[in-house]
Amino acid sequence: MTRQNDESFGRRQFLARAAKAGISAGAAGIISYLLYDTVGPQAHHPAEDLVTLPGFSVKQQPGRTISIVKGSDRVKTVDKAIELLGGIERFVRPGETVAIKPNVAFASPPMLGATTNPQLVAEVVRLCYSRGQAKKVIVTDNPINDPASCFMLTGIGKAAEAAGAKVILPKPHLFKHTTLQGGKLIKDWPIFYEPFTKVDKLIGIAAVKDHHRSGASMSMKNWYGLLGGRRSTFHQDINTIIAELAMMVKPTLVILDGTEVMITNGPTGGSTSDLKQTNTLIASTDMVAADCYGCSLLNLKVSDLPYLTKAASTGAGITDYESLEPKLATVS
Amino acid sequence: MKIVTARRISQIFFFSLFVWFCVVSTVGSKPWQIRGWPVNLFLQLDPLAAIGTILTTHTLYASLLWALPTVILTIVFGRFFCSWVCPFGSLHHFTGFLGNRNKPTPQKIQLNKYRKAQCVKYFVLIVFLAMAAFPSLGASLQIGLLDPIPLLTRSFNLLLLPVFDSSVNFVSATARFYEGAWLIFAVFLSAVLLNLIIPRFYCRFVCPLGALFGLLGRFALWRIGKNSSPCADCKLCERNCEGGCEPAGRIRISECVLCFNCLDYCRDDVIAYQTKPSSAGEVTGPDLSRRGFVLSLIGGVFAVPALRLSGKLSGNWNHKVIRPPGALAEEQFLERCIKCGQCMRICPTNVIQPAGIETGLENLWTPVLNNRIGSSGCQLNCVACGQVCPTSAIRPITLDEKLGIGKFADAGPIKLGTAFIDRNRCLPWAFGRPCIVCQENCPVSPKAIYTREDFNTIRNGLMTVKQAQGKIIETVESTMPADRFATGDYYCVFAGEKPLKITANSEDSIEIAENPAKKPTEGDTIAIQIRLQRPYIDIEKCIGCGVCEHECPVSGRKAVRVSAEGQTRSADKTFLSLKI
Amino acid sequence: MSIFFQELPMVSTPRRTKRLESVISFCLLAVLVLIAIGVFLKQSDFDMSRFGVYTAASGPTSQKPQTNSPEITLDALTPTGFETPSKSETYTTENLYEKIDGKAPLYLESGFRKLFAQRFVNKKDKDLWMELFLFDMGTAKNAFAVYSVQKRPDAAPLSSVEDRNGGQTMRFAYKTTNASYFAFDRYYVELVGSAQSQELLEAMLAVAGKIPSRLSVANDTEIVELRLFPQENVVAGSYKLHLTGAFGFEGLTDTFTARYMFGDNSLTAFFSRRRDTQDAHAVAESYYKFLIKNGGADKPPLNKNIEAKIVEFYGTTEIVFTTGPFIAGIHEAQSQQLAEELAVKLIDKLSEVAKAQGDDQTK
Repeated sequence: MTRQNDESFGRRQFLARAAKAGISAGAAGIISYLLYDTVGPQAHHPAEDLVTLPGFSVKQQPGRTISIVKGSDRVKTVDKAIELLGGIERFVRPGETVAIKPNVAFASPPMLGATTNPQLVAEVVRLCYSRGQAKKVIVTDNPINDPASCFMLTGIGKAAEAAGAKVILPKPHLFKHTTLQGGKLIKDWPIFYEPFTKVDKLIGIAAVKDHHRSGASMSMKNWYGLLGGRRSTFHQDINTIIAELAMMVKPTLVILDGTEVMITNGPTGGSTSDLKQTNTLIASTDMVAADCYGCSLLNLKVSDLPYLTKAASTGAGITDYESLEPKLATVS
Repeated sequence: MKIVTARRISQIFFFSLFVWFCVVSTVGSKPWQIRGWPVNLFLQLDPLAAIGTILTTHTLYASLLWALPTVILTIVFGRFFCSWVCPFGSLHHFTGFLGNRNKPTPQKIQLNKYRKAQCVKYFVLIVFLAMAAFPSLGASLQIGLLDPIPLLTRSFNLLLLPVFDSSVNFVSATARFYEGAWLIFAVFLSAVLLNLIIPRFYCRFVCPLGALFGLLGRFALWRIGKNSSPCADCKLCERNCEGGCEPAGRIRISECVLCFNCLDYCRDDVIAYQTKPSSAGEVTGPDLSRRGFVLSLIGGVFAVPALRLSGKLSGNWNHKVIRPPGALAEEQFLERCIKCGQCMRICPTNVIQPAGIETGLENLWTPVLNNRIGSSGCQLNCVACGQVCPTSAIRPITLDEKLGIGKFADAGPIKLGTAFIDRNRCLPWAFGRPCIVCQENCPVSPKAIYTREDFNTIRNGLMTVKQAQGKIIETVESTMPADRFATGDYYCVFAGEKPLKITANSEDSIEIAENPAKKPTEGDTIAIQIRLQRPYIDIEKCIGCGVCEHECPVSGRKAVRVSAEGQTRSADKTFLSLKI
Repeated sequence: MSIFFQELPMVSTPRRTKRLESVISFCLLAVLVLIAIGVFLKQSDFDMSRFGVYTAASGPTSQKPQTNSPEITLDALTPTGFETPSKSETYTTENLYEKIDGKAPLYLESGFRKLFAQRFVNKKDKDLWMELFLFDMGTAKNAFAVYSVQKRPDAAPLSSVEDRNGGQTMRFAYKTTNASYFAFDRYYVELVGSAQSQELLEAMLAVAGKIPSRLSVANDTEIVELRLFPQENVVAGSYKLHLTGAFGFEGLTDTFTARYMFGDNSLTAFFSRRRDTQDAHAVAESYYKFLIKNGGADKPPLNKNIEAKIVEFYGTTEIVFTTGPFIAGIHEAQSQQLAEELAVKLIDKLSEVAKAQGDDQTK
């Protein structure tokens, strides 16, 4: 009797073990099958993993492409400049999310003019919320110096938050690789990407600055902040990279602040004597045109800056800003 | 035929096969060269490489599928691999046998008792798997450090084989060198010698692969145990027990390595390989304390982020780490490299070396290039390393991809780094000596090293003219070493004329190759100049192959050195030159 | 060996091995044998090109060249009534220039290996002599290539040259006023005479006739590709093989051409077998672009069913098409209608071959 019990017990045990063994073996087989990879890793990001930056431009309205406003008070001049182009309501619809990309490249105080003026940023944020009825406004950039220090020392972080915007610092997981169609430099290169997938409109706010390498840094060069990786290497072909940035980024609106331009020692400056009061503010849906006018504030001609014609030849805009019938005004 | 005889034959077979694979890993088509020999077979059968890379990359790469039969057979039969296949296990088995065979039986039985420390190998396994398991925190494959197959492959290929071959030069015409082999030697020797203290020391206490098999074999359908025959309790079965699993009592299934020595020694046919559990009881799982388990898990999980805090994968990256052509970007590379040393073994020029501990703990024994060692830097038309990498840490690239031709013409050639001329050490730059060996040896076309001609007045090279007649100029000074300036590199310059080649000289006169347009007159100063070709690197064309570094006659700290900037595998971190 | 491994047992009676144990042991050993066989089979299946080590294999249309060029004694070729005033000369790639100077590149580019040269002088008339140039071109295709490309405009056909001894013939042969030219297997033969003379020509034929049996080659290898050309209206002896750059375009390597005459209308058909379909498309594309760049213009086909590029090129018609691994077409056709008709015939023939052989040829 015990012998029989032993045997049946033994058999049951065996079957139980066999089941467990079978399940483990099966699991091993299934995992192997699901994860089996004959191709192996590739050298570069496969095309499926590459992203494309979305475009944010709005419909053209003839005569309302570029506005140039003279005045010393940025808050007043920017209000007027945007009003002349149809008001913020033309650009921001109620309930939309807006990204504002100022120049926060250096951990430099606002009075040195190396970065975008914080009050200007705050005013644009305010306009988006009040007149534009935006649901949310983010302010972001990928600075050269330490990001947290930059947002703090430039005053932009505080000003933006005071106006109700959220500051997004560049974190590694927010970057994705892209290849620019028709570009020769931006190939499988990381860009600051994620925040811009969640917004409806993109406004760039740049200062007008002298730049030792490219000649000038204005609204198109402002987008250099979207490049990741070891982007300083692109200085080897600075005019092409700026033109490619103009191809890659299609903002809704750019604001070029020529109230106090950095006339020498750019892009970092360092002394207030590097600045010159020119009391001009430009708003434009055409970055090329904006920069072409802006360079005159630095006593430069369009022919002095090769990237202007290069960018125009890619179709990013036109150099002859006069032909766009700029709206002019003066604000006391 | 006894089962233990079959086991011994199996051990000899697999060990010989392993040694043979190590010997034939040379590029070539002779029978003793690589041909189609499956030299990675053992690495592919090893499930740790497969499981490790599954954890780090979430894929099972191609030939690592061979691990699946090993896993399934272990699940069904138990830890057969340790006693029947593993060449390191066989080595320990044999050493243990040699070292302990003359000891009296009671002592041997005592040596083979189960020890609590045998659970350490499970903690080793857990630490390594935890290090691999969380890519978001940083996943690093360090299993190769103690996994027996890569360990033995390394020890054979980078240590034993070059040592044995250095006198006969059969495998390699020139002696092979591997940096830091002393550490590989130390680890290998310790592991082997510890068998003299306790047999199969490594297998019982350290081996993470054994630990993995112990876990997988928990539900083995057949296992060693006592059948229902009466047992005289003589303990002879434990005399040569390899696993330290105590078959005389409650046998520990996860420690049993299926050596069958117990079955062979039992005179009463009590020990059997059966489907029933042992009549004396069995312990299926390993004896892990919960505390130990948690600690090793946490240790493993935090080890990688801790190691990476030194920034070695970002801004503080090590520019001396130049990896073989086809290697993945550093983060992905460290997810796959099992430190087996196959690439180092097969590299025809011996330039691939095991990295030492000074490059970081994660990099230990991963392949890096040292252009001073071996016969020539990375050969232009060779892609051997990627062909033997079992996990594709170095991709199996084609020659077209390496050279940037055919389909890959747009992408351009693979660059390992860029050469930098050290102008403080380079002969034509710093010492006024002609050289350009680097430019001559640069293998790409057009060459990545070009020169600019320059004329330097030599030391004490200013002379005063006594008289000049035709092609001969006599000098007031009579200090020139006779014919020193006749080498074809020396020129004479005076009165704003272009340099004229000197064809002969005595102590106080020089002969130039052509009649000068303007004759120097008495009292004029002439300068003896040496014509130098000063090398420059064209960073767009340089592929960082290191041949220039290898050939540079300044043989200590070379005057041209390859650094990892510009390597194509990590373009966005280490990019240097644009195509302008 | 068993003493080495076994220890002295504590008990004197050895354990009796059970039958099941033996069976299992042998089965396991059988598994080891299978593994050994598997490993051994695997080692012979290899491709050294994955290591970047390439064999001497050449392009897609040529065969493997002979590795040893045998020495040939030319004295035995002396025809009756002639003698050899000097020793025979041998030239290699190094010093070919010394013999034929500026013509050397043509041969060197076409696989040249060795040249044997020998003068034969008429015993009675010292001014009547000829020189034999025997070029070892490595493969039959190479020999045919240099033979066909160098064919003189005043070539007159030579009916097959018979070897009275061995019955071998030379398929490719022509003569001019003072010389005769042949291609036989991998040899290209020139016999250049000092004067126009029937006696000299007979002597040349005698020399040529002896060559096949003297050379260590089996048969006169047929250039099978020539059969792919449509046969009607082809000008006899007009087949050519351009190893490099046919029609002035360097991408057209290994290209066979044949001339056709339809009444007063002449046109040339051509084709080249590439490595695979992809390569064929690439070459066709480049050649088409080359034509356009140099003044050609697209024109519509008269035959709507034709799948090819038709280009008007300075008054003549060019046609380019691919089928399988072949790139082919018509060159310098005076009549577009005839060109298209011939193209269709050529496409048909080549497509048949491509389908029959499968279109991936890797070696």
